[in-house]
Amino acid sequence: MKLFLLLLSSLFCINSFGQSAVVVDPAKGASLMEAIADAAPFDTLLVQPGTFKEGRIIIDKPLFILGVGYPVIDGEGKTEIITILSDSVTIQGLQIQNVGVSYIEDRAGISAEKQTHIRIIDNKLYNTFFGVYLKNSSHCLIQGNEIKADAVNEISSGNAIQLWYCNNILVQDNHASGHRDGIYLEFVDDSRIENNTSTNNIRYGLHFMFSNRDQYVGNTFELNGAGVAVMFSKKITMQYNRFINNKGTASYGLLLKEIYDGTISNNTFLGNTTGIYGEGANRLEVHHNTFEKNGWALKVLGSCMDNTFTNNNFINNNFDLTTNNNRSYNNYDGNYWSDYTGYDLDKDGIGDVPHRPIKLFSYIVTRSDASIILLRSLLVDVLNFTEKVTPAFTPELLQDTTPLMKPLL
Amino acid sequence: MKRVVLGLVLLSCFGCNPAPEPIVFGSDQCQFCKMSIVDNRYGAELVTAKGKIYKFDALECLVDFKQKEEKIAAAAHLELAVAFDTPGELVDLNVLHVLYSESLPSPMGMYLSCFKEESEMNKWLDAPNARSMQWAILEKDFEMLDKR
Repeated sequence: MKLFLLLLSSLFCINSFGQSAVVVDPAKGASLMEAIADAAPFDTLLVQPGTFKEGRIIIDKPLFILGVGYPVIDGEGKTEIITILSDSVTIQGLQIQNVGVSYIEDRAGISAEKQTHIRIIDNKLYNTFFGVYLKNSSHCLIQGNEIKADAVNEISSGNAIQLWYCNNILVQDNHASGHRDGIYLEFVDDSRIENNTSTNNIRYGLHFMFSNRDQYVGNTFELNGAGVAVMFSKKITMQYNRFINNKGTASYGLLLKEIYDGTISNNTFLGNTTGIYGEGANRLEVHHNTFEKNGWALKVLGSCMDNTFTNNNFINNNFDLTTNNNRSYNNYDGNYWSDYTGYDLDKDGIGDVPHRPIKLFSYIVTRSDASIILLRSLLVDVLNFTEKVTPAFTPELLQDTTPLMKPLL
Repeated sequence: MKRVVLGLVLLSCFGCNPAPEPIVFGSDQCQFCKMSIVDNRYGAELVTAKGKIYKFDALECLVDFKQKEEKIAAAAHLELAVAFDTPGELVDLNVLHVLYSESLPSPMGMYLSCFKEESEMNKWLDAPNARSMQWAILEKDFEMLDKR
């Protein structure tokens, strides 16, 4: 909320300073670069439809650049396109396209370094290597942009939105596709990622590294190499997101690695190879999520401790849970498991016998991938049943003592 | 019979000689952080005496892995890294120059890169606090350099 207010107040500040509006019309031979040079700070440039091919455009004073009917700024596959070297710059309604791929420098459609109060709103960025790239910046807004590329491999592609050493950034309502990572945050604190759609990215839909106290809410991650990766981060809140069809041998809906004190709630995990993969994830509250039709709903490895999984739905997954440890350090009480075969004689909605979510066969598959071919065989059913009755290999205490009889809505 | 034995002996020799394996960028996964290895200017590899190969997306992950998996670290036979000036190619870490320079952000956030040629590395040394070191020194000073 604080963040939101801060951003809101910053928006009002910028608008109240606006001085005069200058029309930049490429049809009359106007140059965007000259218009920027001639403008006074806090002017508005009204950019008319047409195409500008002026190479790298540097904005070195506070300006509001407003595109009318999506004028095209074309980098012709050479340089970076817009470089912001001033605070309080707003770029809205431009179509920015064709940044050259570079293996040496991280070129971007729009980049800013060490600035505050930058707003990048409703732009279209096509084939821009890195789309929007903010470094060492704070209190910025990236909203409603469409960032598209056709990445073929991870090496020659950049990230749609990349934030590096930033804080208090709001990333909202963007659409990122065809990049390496849809949204990439490294050393980003106190920021919010909201209502974005990230699809068909080669690596991750959203990727946190060394970032703390961030929230991502209401986003959709579909058909990415992996949906979201949260690594080496603390206090991340993950709510109301949809992780859909993130498939592949090393693919996950959500990958957690060395993270602490987060909340994962009200998310949907549908049709992923692995719903959540956790390694070194600690003290997480995982509740009110739905895991449906995944290969594995949860892979919680031995180094995960003190996590609470409660009030989640586990519906029609091949495996609900697997772990490589023979003790349980996490709490799995009070979930709905579609595989539960117990009964509820006292009709209180809670099963009378505990549920063991780990199947013996999931151990075997973890050891040897090829054994998956036996998944639906009678042999495996017998194995699983025997283990369920007399646990020998699976952690005996890993169980849901209060399984729900009906799914939560 | 002799030939068969000879053949077996030869075969076993091949089996015992641990050799590095190139990193396939874009498809190999980092052993430590599980990210796929994408940036061909960075990367590292550890080969144990028994020939088991561990690949990493950055030097930071190799050091972190060695600290966590002490048994494997003790069995290390070869340690290699990708040199910034010869992208994609694995080189023995003992002949590489390791650079810490804040003008070169590395994938795992500690500004570490490796160089084959000292002259190439010197181009990056003018950043504040930049320093070059040998691999053994980096392992010793790793905690101190780690500001993540």
